[in-house]
Amino acid sequence: MKYFVTVNGREHEVVIDEHSDDLNVVVDGQTLDVSYEEVDSLGQVAMNVDGMAHAVSIEGDANTCHVVMAGYSYEIELEDERERAAHAAEGASSGGGVVKSVMPGVVLELLVEVGDEVAERGPLLILEAMKMQNEIDAQSASRVTAVHVAKGEAVSAGQKLVTLEPLDSAE
Amino acid sequence: MFKRILIANRGEIALRIIRSAREMGMQSVAVYSEFDSNALHTRIADIAVPLGGQLPSESYLSIDKILQAAKDTGAEAIHPGYGFLAENAEFARRVEEAGLAWIGPPAESIIAMGDKIESRRIMSAAEVPVVPGLTDPVADFDSAIRAAEDIGYPIAIKASAGGGGKGIRIVQKPEDMEGAFRAASGEAVTAFGDGRLYLERYLDRPRHIEIQVLFDGDGNGVHLYERECSVQRRHQKLLEECPSIVVDEALRAEMGEVALRAGRAVGYVGAGTVEFLYSNGEFFFLEMNTRLQVEHPVTEMVTGIDLVREQLRIASGEPLGYSQADIPRNGWSIEVRINAEDPATGFLPSTGKIGNLRLPGGPWVRVDSGMFRGMEVGLNYDPMLAKLVVWAPTRDMAVARMIRALQELHVGGVRTGAPAALAVLNDERFLSGDFDTSILSTMDFGVTSEEEERLAAVAAAIHRRQLAKRSALGGSAGTREGWLKRSRNAVSDFSSAPIFEGEGA
Repeated sequence: MKYFVTVNGREHEVVIDEHSDDLNVVVDGQTLDVSYEEVDSLGQVAMNVDGMAHAVSIEGDANTCHVVMAGYSYEIELEDERERAAHAAEGASSGGGVVKSVMPGVVLELLVEVGDEVAERGPLLILEAMKMQNEIDAQSASRVTAVHVAKGEAVSAGQKLVTLEPLDSAE
Repeated sequence: MFKRILIANRGEIALRIIRSAREMGMQSVAVYSEFDSNALHTRIADIAVPLGGQLPSESYLSIDKILQAAKDTGAEAIHPGYGFLAENAEFARRVEEAGLAWIGPPAESIIAMGDKIESRRIMSAAEVPVVPGLTDPVADFDSAIRAAEDIGYPIAIKASAGGGGKGIRIVQKPEDMEGAFRAASGEAVTAFGDGRLYLERYLDRPRHIEIQVLFDGDGNGVHLYERECSVQRRHQKLLEECPSIVVDEALRAEMGEVALRAGRAVGYVGAGTVEFLYSNGEFFFLEMNTRLQVEHPVTEMVTGIDLVREQLRIASGEPLGYSQADIPRNGWSIEVRINAEDPATGFLPSTGKIGNLRLPGGPWVRVDSGMFRGMEVGLNYDPMLAKLVVWAPTRDMAVARMIRALQELHVGGVRTGAPAALAVLNDERFLSGDFDTSILSTMDFGVTSEEEERLAAVAAAIHRRQLAKRSALGGSAGTREGWLKRSRNAVSDFSSAPIFEGEGA
């Protein structure tokens, strides 16, 4: 099975074949000798790659997970071939994107309304969390097509905040 | 000495205080909010008193409830930790009015140092250097030129109504004053509708260096050298060290003397910290923190002095019993704050439940932590989860030891600032000592090597296969939690389905 694995924003292709107890792993065209043993049910893993030992911590589900190795943090998104094809079809029809809250907090200030155009890194709203005010920005130049929250509203992690459509495709 | 003290705080600092108290044969009374009923400080104290409430104002900030808890448990003294009520003069006063000992400085010292303008005035009178400048706006260009002569160049022209760096002009020499003054004035009118300006010495590449002081009730005082705290963002410190690479013996002695003068000027008693801005060989008073600091462990590691123990001794009326010459200074210590935040997203706060938890160990590694498996990290409290502290004979060895310890640490369920600390510890400017308070803002976090990313990608792909296998075996088979849930459901089905009775009979 082939997986498209995006790690900290960079995509890698991982192909895994299993023969009885042996894992055949090819990453970005390079064959690796890998053993993988779960240490506990909390996400600690003893991984050995080409003879080098790695203490890995991993948490998450089939499509998003978080890996820590030697103090560094890896945010990961995974798709297999089938999911990639399905997502490609969806993406072509909808376009744009939904900005979601990455943390629970309170909407302190709404800086845009439907129809507004925002520049790349332009502010959308101020979210207060852990006594700090965090500005939530647009990733690219966009038009606001929907605002899902109100000023003063408490939001949870993953909740939709604003829907944007890319400016270049709208014009 | 006290037999029992109450700790009006939570988290790692409550534990820190409980530990010294226990080593001195004292009992500790913990207080806790509804949220903290299972917290470590609640479990490890000798006595734990629920304050109730979800909000800090209903618990750790409630003076009435805390004093009542002290009364009910027969505690003789109250330690406020840091944060919450630690710099609240009214609390200090009410503790003493209740006939209890206050483990902190007198209320008058807290008030004097708590007011920016008042403390600046007292410090100037005590010949403690403050950043040269005017507290009143200048009338026009001519008076600006005259004032600048006294203040000394380079000069920062700031808008009276300004903030956030807007309308600030830096003037290096008198010839440039006229143009800069007009521009700043115009800018201030446009931006704030108020053209008034004031002048201050501009500090080039400032470092944050602070001095730890201790005073007993008889006016004996010592300083415990400096801490370097320039690795910070928005005044939130990330990494601290003792000593500072830019402070030599002469400067150390001078800053220590000045810090003691600052403390004496406000009648200080107990442990306190005098913060300075250091720039190009000069240092200026910033503020005094009238409490124990978060980063106090680096001083403890280098001096071998337990600062909480000294606080308790001083509050019980004991004299210091040693003088400046008796304070050891040995080797190098570094602290990294482990905060629930994500450096890759601009240090946004991170929340979650701590699952996997792996703490570092080994020689000269100290972990002051309030974390435990199953702990909910929410938004109710400060995001600091733990402090990782190392000691080594030299700075280079301490850096290597801290990198090693951070690589062993893993806090699952939330993101922490640890990768940012690792980036700092590998940064050339940090290693050479050539850095200032802007160092964090100039760094790029969340950058990882492609080689390591491939390994993470492999782990993630195999992890996904394991998950798929497990679900093929039947839902959450293989995890104990899943098993417990199913068996509980089965039991409840059984009791509500009498049909089984017939089958069993």
